[in-house]
Amino acid sequence: MARLVLQRLAATVPVLLLVTAGVFALLHLTPGDPIDAMMAESVDAVAKASLRAELGLDRPLPLQYAAWMGRLLRGDLGRSIRNGEPVLESVSRRLRPSLQLALLAMGVSLLIAFPAGIVSAVRRNTAADRVSTTLALFGICMPNFLLALLLIFLFGVTLRWLPISGYVDPAEELVDGLRSLALPAVTLGLALAAVVTRTLRSSMLEALSEDYVRTARAKGLPEGRVIRGHVLRNALIPVVTVLGLQLGTLIGGAVITEYVFALPGVGRLVVDAVFARDYPLVQGVVLLIALGFIASNLLVDLLYGVIDPRIRHR
Amino acid sequence: MPASRRQFLKTCAVVSGVPLLGLAPRAARGDTPKKGGTLRVGFYIEAATMDPHLSGSKIDRQVYHNIYEPLVTLDTSLGIRPGLAESWSQPDPRTLVFKLRRGVKFHDGTEFNAEAAKFNFERMKSEPKSVRKGEVANIDTVEVVDAHTLKVNLKKADAALLATLTDRAGMMVSPKVVQERGAELQRNARGAGTGPFEFVEWVKDSHLVIKRNDAYWNKQGGPYLDRVRYRPIPDDVVKLQSLQSGEIDVMDYVQPRDVAAVKADKNVVVVDVPSLADFAYQLNHTRPPFNTRALRQAVAYALDIEQIVKGVWLNVGVPANGPIPPTSWAYDKSIPPIKRDLAKAKAKLAEGGQPNGFAFTLTTNNIPINIQEAEVIQAQLREAGITAKVKLVDSATLISEGNAKNFEMISYQWSGRPDPDGNIYQFFRTTPGTSLNWSGISNPQLDALLDRTREVSGQAERRKLYGEVTKLLQDELPMVFIIHPIEPKAFSPRVQGYEPIPDGMMRFKDVWLR
Repeated sequence: MARLVLQRLAATVPVLLLVTAGVFALLHLTPGDPIDAMMAESVDAVAKASLRAELGLDRPLPLQYAAWMGRLLRGDLGRSIRNGEPVLESVSRRLRPSLQLALLAMGVSLLIAFPAGIVSAVRRNTAADRVSTTLALFGICMPNFLLALLLIFLFGVTLRWLPISGYVDPAEELVDGLRSLALPAVTLGLALAAVVTRTLRSSMLEALSEDYVRTARAKGLPEGRVIRGHVLRNALIPVVTVLGLQLGTLIGGAVITEYVFALPGVGRLVVDAVFARDYPLVQGVVLLIALGFIASNLLVDLLYGVIDPRIRHR
Repeated sequence: MPASRRQFLKTCAVVSGVPLLGLAPRAARGDTPKKGGTLRVGFYIEAATMDPHLSGSKIDRQVYHNIYEPLVTLDTSLGIRPGLAESWSQPDPRTLVFKLRRGVKFHDGTEFNAEAAKFNFERMKSEPKSVRKGEVANIDTVEVVDAHTLKVNLKKADAALLATLTDRAGMMVSPKVVQERGAELQRNARGAGTGPFEFVEWVKDSHLVIKRNDAYWNKQGGPYLDRVRYRPIPDDVVKLQSLQSGEIDVMDYVQPRDVAAVKADKNVVVVDVPSLADFAYQLNHTRPPFNTRALRQAVAYALDIEQIVKGVWLNVGVPANGPIPPTSWAYDKSIPPIKRDLAKAKAKLAEGGQPNGFAFTLTTNNIPINIQEAEVIQAQLREAGITAKVKLVDSATLISEGNAKNFEMISYQWSGRPDPDGNIYQFFRTTPGTSLNWSGISNPQLDALLDRTREVSGQAERRKLYGEVTKLLQDELPMVFIIHPIEPKAFSPRVQGYEPIPDGMMRFKDVWLR
């Protein structure tokens, strides 16, 4: 297992190089300039030029990339162009709510998806299956922003049970924190639950038709144990794959949900940084998101071994 | 002309259904202001920096106008009033002498005096990251005459400088704070200002809090509020719902599409604040098709501005006759906006050598109201046989295309300046290289007029010159002007005493909670 981890970590280096170089090139190919964007209402060419020189933006691109890489190797992600804040600081501040939201959303989705997926696989083609399949379809089709606004309207404006927007850190104030994350977690969790339900249902159906299930039943095992011990366990691999991929997306890609609920997450940070052409900040966040994806994929690979010992031994 | 200005304000008040005085200190109901309470304010983004000399973002100023004070301030009709300077005089066109207020202390306890003011001007001019350099470029040297007298020597006469000093360029920061924790000032303005409120804390991405300055020098009226708490809420719909459900007390801007509904809501008070802004399209004079004046005029005559203001902006603004907003003393209401005239547009097409019309690209911001406006313009021009292809870009791209003159017709939204000079000179004066003169207009007659507006200092004379400039712009068309927008702000009915100043900044000194 240690070897697997080491191998994977070694493989991240070229991936990160490719990602950062690609983002750097794309960002600089896009029209627009950070200083012009920041000082949009100024004609002062001298002030702009001196600011550009101060920030090293007047140097050739390969040099700028090399300088960035050099700093990165020393553990320095640079400073934001727009507000001078160290990139590492703003990213780590934004990472907290994003992680909390991702985990809560995942929890919501599992709470819904497991019962729904199991019921619809075991009671295939019954009313229960059709209801859960329809709901899953609805969850996949429902746009995030619309669901978010509907939830706000119902729970925030009409019933006034939950705050409409804003973020409180659950690590500091548990109840207020969970309340502030409840609606966004449900918004993201419902869509994810739909995907997980569908995946779980189809992989369980596949497992249900396997010979070992028939054998287990023939041995006289109670149906509950057949489902738990033989069907569900074998059906989990694709579900874990889906969840692992979604975790990365939830951390870096929940832009719309973060925007609507005024949550200070990583997704909004990177979008705002792109609009401001804040190069160091974009680079830093993308690097971090890439790392997040790599880590969650690694986690998935390790989990495979836990679920299916055959993978571990190989 | 003051009458037109008053009329405009009155119209806004009538439109909003709220008499302006109803929100003024000591409301007509006879309520007396009371101390206490926290005002919760929702803005679309959070501030970028707390250092006024390094600030390039409009939202920063909303906070600054409560914790810092400029040398001079604006009143509701854009007149210049004393601020940290009690009075000023101009012995000759290139010298300004400020008499500074006595007994003013920064929040860190140090005294505000002429030395402090001099320190601030020198920092704006020399700090490498200063964003104020352009605004104070005309200031040659600053001298301390005595502890409370400051002499500002100008490089050349500058009629607009006082108006510039009503904002960030005139704001005074504690020299002690700058010297001791200058770098930190960007994020922590504790002790730095002289204003009615003091900086308390800024938790990035979450909230910014200021509290009442009990030692404030001005004992008339407020500050009444214990605290003001600013929060960023990026989504308009959510921000409005937060106000309606009582999570916030103030929101900075109501979208035109929401104005009617919000005004019908008894739990919300809307105040229409006329702005200094002009929203327009720049036409590129340096390349075809708009290097031909007749074709620019064809576009102007084919457009129905009144219809755009009504249909797209839902009358949250007034049709523009030029760059000067009706709130300004320099506005000439005898000049009507260009009226639609399809026959004239066709004649101009023929005159420009394109009797069957022509096609061009219209570059605009990829946001809903700009897209709608572009679509209406497209449809209106089509009736005159002109084809506009719409190109949607993000704002950073828009700015770089504009600076590079890489466009034919491009959206330009200027937030406006209190002095008309700030809406005019830098856009239409011949300027080589990169400038805000995106259209590339270079017209000797216009240049001469613009230079004269800076040399003469009498308001009546300047006003006459700006009238001539407006007429010339309607003929030469470096821009087609669309609208002077209104910036509606919405309040909980508990909020009293807010005075709308057309620069859109929310000063909470006299605001209190019922």
